[in-house]
Amino acid sequence: MSNLTGLLGAALLGMLSTAAFAQGPRGILAHNSANDNKPYNKHDISGIWTRNGSPGGYGGGGTCRDCGDRGYSANVPAPTPVGQKMFDKNKPSYGRLLGSADAAAHPEEPIGRRRAVPPANDSDPYQHCNPMGPTRALIYPDPMEMSVLPDRVLQQFEWGWGTRVLWTDGRQPLIDPDLPVWWGYSTAHWDGDTFVVTTTGVDDRTWVDHYGYPHSADMVLEERYRRTAYDVLELTMTINDPKVYTQPWKSELKQFRRLEKDGIKTVDGWAGLLQDVCAPADEVDLFNKRIRDPAGGVIK
Amino acid sequence: MTRKLTFTWAALLAAALPLAAHHGTGASYDLAHPVTLQGTVTEFHYTNPHPQLFFDVTGEKGEVTHWGGEFYPNPAQLIQGGWGRRRSEAALEPGTKITVTVAPARAGTKVGAILKLLNDKGEVLLGVAGGGPGEVPQGGPSPGPGAEQKPDSEQKKE
Repeated sequence: MSNLTGLLGAALLGMLSTAAFAQGPRGILAHNSANDNKPYNKHDISGIWTRNGSPGGYGGGGTCRDCGDRGYSANVPAPTPVGQKMFDKNKPSYGRLLGSADAAAHPEEPIGRRRAVPPANDSDPYQHCNPMGPTRALIYPDPMEMSVLPDRVLQQFEWGWGTRVLWTDGRQPLIDPDLPVWWGYSTAHWDGDTFVVTTTGVDDRTWVDHYGYPHSADMVLEERYRRTAYDVLELTMTINDPKVYTQPWKSELKQFRRLEKDGIKTVDGWAGLLQDVCAPADEVDLFNKRIRDPAGGVIK
Repeated sequence: MTRKLTFTWAALLAAALPLAAHHGTGASYDLAHPVTLQGTVTEFHYTNPHPQLFFDVTGEKGEVTHWGGEFYPNPAQLIQGGWGRRRSEAALEPGTKITVTVAPARAGTKVGAILKLLNDKGEVLLGVAGGGPGEVPQGGPSPGPGAEQKPDSEQKKE
């Protein structure tokens, strides 16, 4: 190797290392000691929160450096026969490549994370811009914003530009709704310092996470949020879905870091969440046809 | 077709695989065998989910091969690196000569994930400097009109 090539190689390796380690653990923004003594209200969960550590709190290719980052939990309860059939039907493109040496080298991981196929060959509803549904959107590593109103909390996800309404007006969870909907029906209340959200009636075409774990429309999802510092929001979720899983399924702890409004700006200086829509005109008509499908060999 | 496989690239990107191969797109692209191509831009689309670049590569016998490539950063990430739409489109006007390193599709089609992109002056375009998936787009030397450009280190909001 020539000296020049060696120098270039060293520089590139440095860049790779920087890109790999500039973020905090599991992608969350690094701790900022300037926030340590800032006062905060444990019952105020408003603001922009993100699970990713790159500038602006974005994910995309910048996250999932380990496979767990986009997963609900690696501790998956045994499925029911119906649940197994639903799981087998879903073909995700995330995780370790099906049949690869990489997949074989990680037998400790649940099979859901070792069965990826090229995106053009999968069955992921989001590859066609269908709504992600609550659990998957919460796990997705781009920012989300919560706006607290007198009778509800609005949860806006930047990627996909999806909105959930978490009702705090005292209504009871909707049991066995007539019409399941993409984001479900959510009620919420405070239990001490924990904001508890109960969601029912989520359309069963959504996936629990990027790995294609299924749920039924009878799923009852509980989210428990705790603001543990000025700039930290913690979330755990529990899925109760006896039609699909033989036991309740609790998520791993998901941590969000607070982003101030100015933390996201367009090049014009327009601050706040970006209108990051997944539009079929972009995703399906252009990207899928000209990039994703050819890359997967579906279109030669 | 001009097609150069650089040992350094292959070795370093292979070293990055434990970090990079877990992405959904990793299933389509062969990060272990990047190729470097010299081409001419024919189309560029600054859209979700990932901007797309189309370019022609002329081989030694004059044959032209049409390639397509996707950027790993999406527009939201490019914006944070100072690469807004106008600046990006100006840098990649049709006819622009480029040197591009891609992770090619495993399927053998002429599509790839763009790992590094240079113009004929050797300038890095769209901040894609060779870090592979997860690379934070760098601001580059010349922000477009109206861009509020800051060093990357100052853009990290915590």
